[in-house]
Amino acid sequence: MEHFKYVGKSVPRVDANVKVTGEARYTVDIAFPNMLWGKLLRSPLAHARILHIDTSKAEKLPGVKAVITGKDTPFTYGVTHMDQKPLHMNKVRHVGDAIAAVAAVDEETAQEAVELIKVDYEELPAVFHPLDAMLPGAPVIHEGVEGNVAARPSYENGDVEKAFAESDYVFEDTFETPPIAHVCPEPHVCVAKWDHSGKLTFYVSSQMPSLARTHFANFLKMPESRIRVITNYVGGAFGSKTLSRFPIEFASVILSRKTGRPVKFQHTREEEFHYSTLQFRFVITVKTGINKDGIITGRHFKAICECGGYVSHGASITSVAGALQGVLYRYKNYKYDGYAVYTNVPYGGAWRGLGNPPVHFAGEAQLNMIAAEIGVDPLELRLTNATHAGDTSATGALVRSCGLSKCLEKVAEEIGWKEKRTNPRPNHGLGIACGVHFTGIRLPTMPDTDFAEAKIMVNDDGSVNLTTSCVDLGQGSNTVLTQIAAEVLGIDMDRINTIYGDTETCPMEWGTRASRVTAIGGMAVKKASENARDQILRAAGEKLEINPDDLELKDNKVLVKGNPSIHMSISEVARFNRYRENGQAIMATNHWDAPSHGNISSAFSFGAKAIEVEVDPGTGRTKVLRVVVANDLGRAINPAGACGQIEGGVHMGLGMASTEEIMLNEKGGMANNQFLDYRVLTPLDMPPITPILVETNDPVGAFGAKGIGEMALIGTPDAFVSAVHAAAGVWIRKLPVTPEKVLLAMKAKK
Amino acid sequence: MKKTITLKVNGETFNLDVEDRRTLAEVIREDLHLLGTHMICEKGECGACTVIMDGLAINSCLVLAADANGKEIETIEGLAQGFELHPIQKNFVEKGAVQCGMCTSGMIMTAKAFLQKKPHPDEEEVRHAIAGNFCRCTGYVRIVDAVLSSASELKES
Repeated sequence: MEHFKYVGKSVPRVDANVKVTGEARYTVDIAFPNMLWGKLLRSPLAHARILHIDTSKAEKLPGVKAVITGKDTPFTYGVTHMDQKPLHMNKVRHVGDAIAAVAAVDEETAQEAVELIKVDYEELPAVFHPLDAMLPGAPVIHEGVEGNVAARPSYENGDVEKAFAESDYVFEDTFETPPIAHVCPEPHVCVAKWDHSGKLTFYVSSQMPSLARTHFANFLKMPESRIRVITNYVGGAFGSKTLSRFPIEFASVILSRKTGRPVKFQHTREEEFHYSTLQFRFVITVKTGINKDGIITGRHFKAICECGGYVSHGASITSVAGALQGVLYRYKNYKYDGYAVYTNVPYGGAWRGLGNPPVHFAGEAQLNMIAAEIGVDPLELRLTNATHAGDTSATGALVRSCGLSKCLEKVAEEIGWKEKRTNPRPNHGLGIACGVHFTGIRLPTMPDTDFAEAKIMVNDDGSVNLTTSCVDLGQGSNTVLTQIAAEVLGIDMDRINTIYGDTETCPMEWGTRASRVTAIGGMAVKKASENARDQILRAAGEKLEINPDDLELKDNKVLVKGNPSIHMSISEVARFNRYRENGQAIMATNHWDAPSHGNISSAFSFGAKAIEVEVDPGTGRTKVLRVVVANDLGRAINPAGACGQIEGGVHMGLGMASTEEIMLNEKGGMANNQFLDYRVLTPLDMPPITPILVETNDPVGAFGAKGIGEMALIGTPDAFVSAVHAAAGVWIRKLPVTPEKVLLAMKAKK
Repeated sequence: MKKTITLKVNGETFNLDVEDRRTLAEVIREDLHLLGTHMICEKGECGACTVIMDGLAINSCLVLAADANGKEIETIEGLAQGFELHPIQKNFVEKGAVQCGMCTSGMIMTAKAFLQKKPHPDEEEVRHAIAGNFCRCTGYVRIVDAVLSSASELKES
């Protein structure tokens, strides 16, 4: 293994000091002296025609500076289906759909004005579950979309029906996962500010500031150079701040243009719980053919995704989850039927794992049910069918590196799988599950690219400014990218300033999403750094009259290989290069498009989880005793950061498994929109977590890296329900696994 | 109605005229511009806005500024001595207890008040102490670690 100075070392985060002192500024902190506050009028009805909107009373309220409706926002948008509008004039399709927006001198006045807007509705029949929405005669939510099926992504390889007919066993089971909130600590928030040169500055808490610029340039028919999007420190995102645009963003931009003053909008915590795009509800039926030797002969998934009022990410997520499931095992016959279905609930979006957690849950939970039924060790069953490096999946994906089997073996060994299963303790149980996730994404429904860009500028003193549009959402990307640049340039990390989040100074980026930043963003940084390194070595070679091939960069110096007594500091090289006749800056850019053409991703990260659970037979309460996680992340650039991702992923995954669920009342309105009744796990709920990093040195990621942020979560609920079964003898097919469900299932079994 | 109050914040005295309905958190952020005190839920459910008032860790969004009249308040900005971080801050940095950072100030202030009362806690006691502080990023693993390491360090000094 190569020897690295920074890559592979657990280093403190580059932004930790300003975060522990409270100095880090987030978009929520932005304020201007003459700033106005905005509020949206949201629909109280789940499905209704709008007959009339009267804003006159609101406009007359002292302190109100402007009121807008759909007439002022004539834009349509969406992720794959252009079915959304910022403010609705004709129809609303879920409780919370936006209708009008107000800008006023303060938040209270804006809210008061919103309540003065009068809307006459004609209420329409509404539908709140995808299976109901697909029934004949169900309310039509979007004209022309009969049956409410907006998209039907599918995959087919081989002949599953034939495989089922020839299998020793065939099993069919249905699972359901509920809508879940991201619960970003920093809610969705933005400030729009126009100046008199006609330029728009837009502050937004976002995973994709460059895409926000592209979007608004298109909407407003403006040159991209006249729009500056700034993203400060981001207080968590988890997928919700990617390709989706939000009504508050349009409203702030239009109201600021109208009033000539900065306008801030910020989701209240209640809005954030329901209207910041949810993890979609999924209803998944899995049919599996399997032989006595444990070989899966064929598998058919029918995955129904509840989009809500608009497709949003529903079509792409339903597609990608099917593609990825096909990568997990050596499926000889594989069929996936996805249905992206409209209903009258608040729409979903990208949520950590992009549909993969629900579809994996169904597949992995069923595999454990099958193992129990046919008397095979679930670990062996997985090892028998696991994908290996070099495989091309049933869904056409080339797997260049794969540590799946190793992850499974590692978690089993660490948790004591064999011993504990041989000598089970009463009311205790072990569960295991595994998974695969992409590193970057390329889908037929999206632009055919998977790129990142980076720019390196070497300063006169030999320090470096690195600009990127990979946003540090808290996951630690700035630290990892700084490590990569430091490694290539031989410059100390504290001499590198890694800057992101300003479209005026930073290059473009295809998003801090899809677990792509370390591997793909990191590769752009690596290649730009290599280019800058070569420029430094060439200039030093000229000055020292030595062949650049005989020089190397180390400890902020250019050294002669084998004769370190001859050297120049990088500062001396930079100054020599800049101030000589026909001088040049040492500056490099890189555009890196990950090699995933014809594939869904350039690299796949694999992982496994083993969970030990205790169930109280009197109450049905579950207590997680331990979680062991192994992740094939290619290479850990910052191992401590990678483990932090795993720990956070397990926390969110256990929440999905046991407590988290967005609930609506019978009219489709918010039922739980605060921390007291949307239960995120607390420090007291969390078990010890043992992360294990498996390195497979991927051939296309930066320094062999693959993604980890999403894979860290995937498989947690799957292993959890299996552990509950091992402890209590019942299978819970509908998440979350509440004590009530466990108790009822135990009673029903008796 | 406006009330005139005196707050001693991080050792500095402020005389302020505040509307009696405003919370201490709002006054800290909006009037004193101490933006290191974060707000996530604004109703006492998440602990992000925790400050220390007369030695007690409190949710500053649940205290009316008027009721804090005459009290001594400590916010995250008061911890570091010049550029020297407080031992709890140092441990949060070194243990990797920070991700997005929105809960960090509240966690550190909670930990500080807790360790003043309970200098030798075990892990279970640390978990109870921070149970009212929501974090979405870390799974609390490294936060608990950082508080425990701070305890042993503060004990030594």
